[in-house]
Amino acid sequence: MKTKLKLSVAAVLLGAAFTGVAHADNKTAMMSVGRDATPAEVKAWDIDVRPDFKGLPKGAGSVSMGENVWEDKCAACHGGFGESNEVFTPIIGGTTAEDIKNGRVAALVEGAKSTAPQKTTIMKVATVSTLWDYINRAMPWNAPKSLTTDEVYGVVAYLLSLAGVVPADHTLSDKNIAEAQARMPNRNGMAYYEPMWKTSGKGDVKNVLCMKDCATEVKITSFLPDYAKSAQGNLVEQNRVVGPTRGVDTSKPASK
Amino acid sequence: MSKDLSEVIGRVVPAPENHLSADMLEKARKARRSFMGKALAMGAGVAAAAKAQAAGPVGEGEDAILTLPEHTKGLGLPVAMNPYGQPSQWEKNLIRRESPGLTRVPQASVSFTPLQGLFGIITPSGLHFERHHQGWWDIDPSKHRLMINGLVKRQRVFTMDDLMRLPSVSRIHFIECGANSATEWGNVAVSSVQYSHGMLSCSEFTGVLLSTLLEMCGIDKKKAKFILAEGADGSSMTRTIPIENAMDDVLVAWAMNGEMLRPENGYPLRLVVPGIQGVSWVKYLRRIEVGDERYAAKDEAVHYIDHMPDGTHRQYSGVQECKSVITTPSAGQLLLDKGFYNVTGLAWSGRGAIKRVDVSVDGGRNWRTARLEGPILPKALTRFNIDWVWDGKPAILQARAVDSTGYVQPKINQLRAVRGTKSVYHQNAIQSWKVAENGEVSNVQVF
Repeated sequence: MKTKLKLSVAAVLLGAAFTGVAHADNKTAMMSVGRDATPAEVKAWDIDVRPDFKGLPKGAGSVSMGENVWEDKCAACHGGFGESNEVFTPIIGGTTAEDIKNGRVAALVEGAKSTAPQKTTIMKVATVSTLWDYINRAMPWNAPKSLTTDEVYGVVAYLLSLAGVVPADHTLSDKNIAEAQARMPNRNGMAYYEPMWKTSGKGDVKNVLCMKDCATEVKITSFLPDYAKSAQGNLVEQNRVVGPTRGVDTSKPASK
Repeated sequence: MSKDLSEVIGRVVPAPENHLSADMLEKARKARRSFMGKALAMGAGVAAAAKAQAAGPVGEGEDAILTLPEHTKGLGLPVAMNPYGQPSQWEKNLIRRESPGLTRVPQASVSFTPLQGLFGIITPSGLHFERHHQGWWDIDPSKHRLMINGLVKRQRVFTMDDLMRLPSVSRIHFIECGANSATEWGNVAVSSVQYSHGMLSCSEFTGVLLSTLLEMCGIDKKKAKFILAEGADGSSMTRTIPIENAMDDVLVAWAMNGEMLRPENGYPLRLVVPGIQGVSWVKYLRRIEVGDERYAAKDEAVHYIDHMPDGTHRQYSGVQECKSVITTPSAGQLLLDKGFYNVTGLAWSGRGAIKRVDVSVDGGRNWRTARLEGPILPKALTRFNIDWVWDGKPAILQARAVDSTGYVQPKINQLRAVRGTKSVYHQNAIQSWKVAENGEVSNVQVF
């Protein structure tokens, strides 16, 4: 008992010694952890391009040069015209000359008809900087960051030409990219709703806290058809072998 | 001991041979609490007697007790046989799984957490859901660097050695993909809670507060409005994060559940952005830029945006709003019998702590308040439990969570009324599970 008591007193004293070190000294010592980045290091990693084109490197690329790069490095996944839905969702399609005029893609309105089978990148993206930045940082898929700056301009120019944003004989550059931005088909299509951006915000959808005889039809409006029950595999093999339940054997026809 | 359910569930499934008459089945139903009833329902005659051991004692008692098993009579295995422990061989069903056909390339895909089999609030690290945009890596931590640049007095570089000697904090938070439950916006689409809600995990993360690092770099507090987080992998994933979050509870984390991050989850360094969708929790974090404008990165200009009925997209909507789901019983499970059950599930909110969870067994007409298990932490999963006696009749189970802001989890029709039917992300509606008379639980929509 005595030894234990001594030990715990020692522990308290030791703790006091640590916390007793001047706070300012701690802070100064902490501030020196790490080192300054060199300009070359910042340049190597700071590759992002903002919508106001801050970060966009100087360069230029023509539609035809971009088309060559595309055929060589992009078309296998995205299709010759950025239309393919084989590997990734389509990039090009579903926008019109009218959209370019308005800066809003009409096919996105609920109930509207679209010429594209599904939403494409060009239907959604409001900022040309996004295309440039992403192709530059992440494409091609299996060799990201391997395109030269001019090649990135060329590929963006080729995509924009497919969407009718720039003409087929266009050369896109840091000097004229703002003009392409002014013709992006969905440039006015983004809304900013602060309550869904800030964790301190309040939501836009309301439910009430009813407890008894609440207004509901208790009608099943949608259910999984029997044929789809095994779409994610046999559920008996995805549940524990003990407990209050088992997985349903979805390899067998549904029981009644 | 995995039994064919047709053998175990007395009342539920006709005998496999299908040779019980309707009359005998009815008799079995009435007598189902007794052993004989179960035996009858399981199939008549000798076969039934052999199978009856699963149901209860025969004669002197149950074989599982009367005949001592090998593990009671023999010598067990030595220590350190598995230097890094693994789950029991009997638990092999509970694993991360892909949803076939959801994506075309496995490097830009998802694997889902098996919520149907988990307990409490912490997700085992090996079962943490995966979402990769361009494949995952196991990066040498000694070569990993974090750079902080932009609107700071000193642009700095930190090694893992540097970061790990700084004052650290440990916090429990949920991470949910912005596209979790996305398949259910329109109609019911998937077979179990693993696929409807399994892009959800919760862990204890350890790291240094981002605010500490930003202070160390001399952040320009007047000009700084946003930060950009960037990954070191091929996709070099970037996301804009509000400065309010960055200076509040965002962590630069290296550890998860007491060990270093798993490679699939960003080893050696990832951002933890409590309450915000998983895509912002940049993995393999290599750079933080402090800026004064939003960045419109691909995953905030083309994806993770909310398609509204008027055709606009809400950009930068990242909060994971209050949500809950019953994990047992849930779709794809089969109740063993009528009688007592513990209905259990998870609730969470990106805006704060869970205040309360109500559970309905009649499709939302009447509700009872569930017990919340501790700890109840802000922006973390909260486990709820409630007693239920199943009378064997069809039932529709729902859970409805309320968070500390007073927000009530909405119904799917309420969500659609505001955001339309074309939206993909941020689906936090009340989930309905139908319990059929045969004990089978399935995914349905009821509002």
